[in-house]
Amino acid sequence: MIKHLKRIYMGLVILFLYLPIIVLVVSSFNNSKILGKWDGFTLDWYKELFNNASIMNALKTTLILALMASVIATALGTLASLTINKMKRSTRSVVMSITNIPMLNAEIVTALAFMLLFVGLGISLNFATVLIAHVTFCIPYALLNIYPKVRQMDNNMYEAALDLGASSAQAFFKVTLPEIMPGIMSGFLMSFTMSLDDFIITHFTRGSGIDTLSTKIYTEVRKGIKPEMYALSTLLFVTVFVLLLLINRTPNEEKRRKKLAKGKKSHATLAMGMCIVLIISAVGYISFRDDSNYIGDVYVYNWGEYIDPEVIALFEEETGYKVHYEEFETNEEMYTIIANGARNYDVICPSDYMIEKMIDTDLLAPLDYNAIPNIKNIGSEYMESATGFDPGNRYSVPYCWGTVGICYNTTMIDEEVNSWSILFDEKYSGSILMQASVRDAYCVALSYLGYSINTLDEMQLKEATNLLISQKPLVQAYVIDQVRDKMIKNTAALSVIYSGEAIYMQEENPDLEYVVPDEGSNVWIDGWVIPKNSENKEAALAWINFMCDPNIALMNFNEITYSTPNIAARDLIEDEYIRNSQIAFPGESVLSRCEVYNYLGKDGDALYDGYWTKVGTAASE
Amino acid sequence: MDNKLIDLQGISKSYGKNLILNNLDLYIKENEFLTLLGPSGCGKTTTLRIIGGFESPDSGKVIFDNQDITDLPPNKRHLNTIFQKYALFTHMTIAENIAFGLKIAKKSKTYIDDKIKYALKLVNLDGFENRMADSLSGGQQQRIAIARAIVNEPKVLLLDEPLGALDLKLRQDMQYELIRLKNELGITFIYVTHDQEEALTMSDTIVVMNQGYIQQMGTPEMIYNEPENAFVADFIGDSNIIASTMIEDEVVEILGAKFKCVDKGFGNNTPVDVVIRPEDVELVEPQMGTIQGLVTHLIFKGVHYEMEVEANGFKWLVQSTKLVPVGTRVGIVVDPFNIQIMNKPESEDEEAVTLDE
Repeated sequence: MIKHLKRIYMGLVILFLYLPIIVLVVSSFNNSKILGKWDGFTLDWYKELFNNASIMNALKTTLILALMASVIATALGTLASLTINKMKRSTRSVVMSITNIPMLNAEIVTALAFMLLFVGLGISLNFATVLIAHVTFCIPYALLNIYPKVRQMDNNMYEAALDLGASSAQAFFKVTLPEIMPGIMSGFLMSFTMSLDDFIITHFTRGSGIDTLSTKIYTEVRKGIKPEMYALSTLLFVTVFVLLLLINRTPNEEKRRKKLAKGKKSHATLAMGMCIVLIISAVGYISFRDDSNYIGDVYVYNWGEYIDPEVIALFEEETGYKVHYEEFETNEEMYTIIANGARNYDVICPSDYMIEKMIDTDLLAPLDYNAIPNIKNIGSEYMESATGFDPGNRYSVPYCWGTVGICYNTTMIDEEVNSWSILFDEKYSGSILMQASVRDAYCVALSYLGYSINTLDEMQLKEATNLLISQKPLVQAYVIDQVRDKMIKNTAALSVIYSGEAIYMQEENPDLEYVVPDEGSNVWIDGWVIPKNSENKEAALAWINFMCDPNIALMNFNEITYSTPNIAARDLIEDEYIRNSQIAFPGESVLSRCEVYNYLGKDGDALYDGYWTKVGTAASE
Repeated sequence: MDNKLIDLQGISKSYGKNLILNNLDLYIKENEFLTLLGPSGCGKTTTLRIIGGFESPDSGKVIFDNQDITDLPPNKRHLNTIFQKYALFTHMTIAENIAFGLKIAKKSKTYIDDKIKYALKLVNLDGFENRMADSLSGGQQQRIAIARAIVNEPKVLLLDEPLGALDLKLRQDMQYELIRLKNELGITFIYVTHDQEEALTMSDTIVVMNQGYIQQMGTPEMIYNEPENAFVADFIGDSNIIASTMIEDEVVEILGAKFKCVDKGFGNNTPVDVVIRPEDVELVEPQMGTIQGLVTHLIFKGVHYEMEVEANGFKWLVQSTKLVPVGTRVGIVVDPFNIQIMNKPESEDEEAVTLDE
């Protein structure tokens, strides 16, 4: 009886440990995109994974990074172990504790410290910075595996080799090194594993255009349902699992060897060799696939899910520029990165008020319209609107535009929706999604109260703040990109959303409806700009020109469903319903009650941020 | 045999403030089994390591075969060392271990194979070629270490407490084994130990060391029977060491009683130390003894009984095959030849030190 209980208990513990992974693995084989709904077995996600150039690129980066970091860390760890072993006992224990601390230190602290160090030294983040960071956090793991082997080794062994006629070099390579080789190998595998699955430190120290698998998974997953990422995560888990099995096998291997005959290299050596061969061939294969008409690089920084990936490939094919494409979630996040000079980009797609702010803070380079002949396709009314934040259209070319409104599920909401007030209705407590960005949140509150969405009046802002705080208990979540999934999957009834999202969501779930409330709202324009410190301005201009091509704009519109300012592209839209859609291209009556965001100045930003923090920290009852 | 193979001249060595060797002079003759004996910290291992080339002396010279090798690295010296913990290469098989030095010396494969066979036979471990080093017992590993050294045909084998890690029975077997090996190979052994019994059993010459000085050098018999000072006497076997007075030539007063002895030339009424081995103390009827005492302890030791006799305020250690029960009054006599007279120590260094091993 007790025995059974013990087994059940053990089973529960293991289940508890591995259940999340099991769910992940199962999901990666699920034909359905919707979690928790089994729709048959499929390998499609794995196929898609291997056909995705950016993921394959991330894989290449990951492998090169892990290999270099672990080789360097192992070499340094070996030398350090030998030196530490020669130290006096007291010094030795101090040094060992110092080297152990980074392992226990919070990863986020290490990551942040690295970023500060690099940025502080004026080094812009790139591959080398990630590599340095990886080497650093791998060294303690290398030491942890190698040092005990060195300690274990008879101190006289090296002397014995000298005694038998070996030179110092021979003694080291023929005796010392082979003796501690099992430790070196497990140190290497451990470092490799650590580097392979690191996310936080990589995320903070990587330069533009550098993605490892884990940062790739992160950027992809936060945008919504991506079963390919489940597949990728599964593969990553399996890889790490296998590596750890190898590491743990090594000691047994030795015992086996002792009893057995000579000459047999241990499995671990074999495994390490295979590992390296595999990496080199994989990297070689991926590199080989790279295009041959390469003439330069362009680093693009855009919103998540804001382009048809096919367009990137077309651009590369047509121009010969290699695109390093990265995504941000909010204007503010992007601004921090650019203003710090932490990463360099060539072309960015901020929103109106942010463009104004970047002009104001002298971060942008004026555009050379001679290099953008396709500008003629952009409707003059949009160019005109853009002068509201970019006087004279000197710095930006409109890319997408739209309104902010309410998306609701008609099966959950019976009444007619035409006012922001419904977001403050207790009836819908727990099924409301708000935007997590400061301006959009205040847009809702200020519009509802009948104030300008660019107000700097403290009384009005206080009122709006109190309104948002009082709304907090009703809100299911403050989200950004996840709005789509939640609404499509019917897990929320109401949400604040951009018009472009609404079109896509309606396609996925016909029960959804979008409305711009009568009180008015925000009309926004996102435009391409080139940062002042861009090193590839020519490529950036080529990119902007390419985006203004009607066929390309159409592809993007079909993919992301945000309204395009490209008149020529709009005429090419085949679907009559969409071409005339009020959501995609609202009439004058809607636009007339909407306002663009203006840059509020430093003080204005601080004011809004201050109030927004109050909302964030207010206790929700 | 009289040829000085190794000659250490004025060797001094210190680690930081610790003086380990102080102006040491020592020579080793060809084909000799020389043992450096002493408590830990006496400098014996350092002496060996200086000969091996693992340490360099602060001053002094190491002459090997009439050549100054003081600055020669270990791999250039024609001698090999057997380390206390064997230092076998655990990632290699036994054969690879033995072949190590020969491969470095670029010997032919057939030569190496022959040597491996020969060496394994010599140490009675034929057929062990393909075993891994740490699958062997301590004694076997030690023999492999010896095999690994001797295939290089060194002129001298340095042995650093090679039996220290073995248990008693194995140690005794290995002692005979080493003597046999030395006789078969005809090479010089320099042996370091703190075990006086081991030293007495195997050596041609024993060098007793303490605190960086040589206390006495001589054959085992000389060292045992005629220790030159209290340290040597105390370190080699059990002894009764008694502060006494040399009355005149051949007469010494021990604990108030006059004993006959054979020593001369100490002068009259000179304070001396007297060493009497416990097996040399004879117990007789009280009236027959030079002095009288009472048996206070008795232990059976196998070969003999060990007794403690209190006489004239001194506790005499006595070994005898005859049992004398506790409480018996006895007389003590000592054959004049068995009374060893030593000068009182002149320097602190000659004082007996407490042994920590």
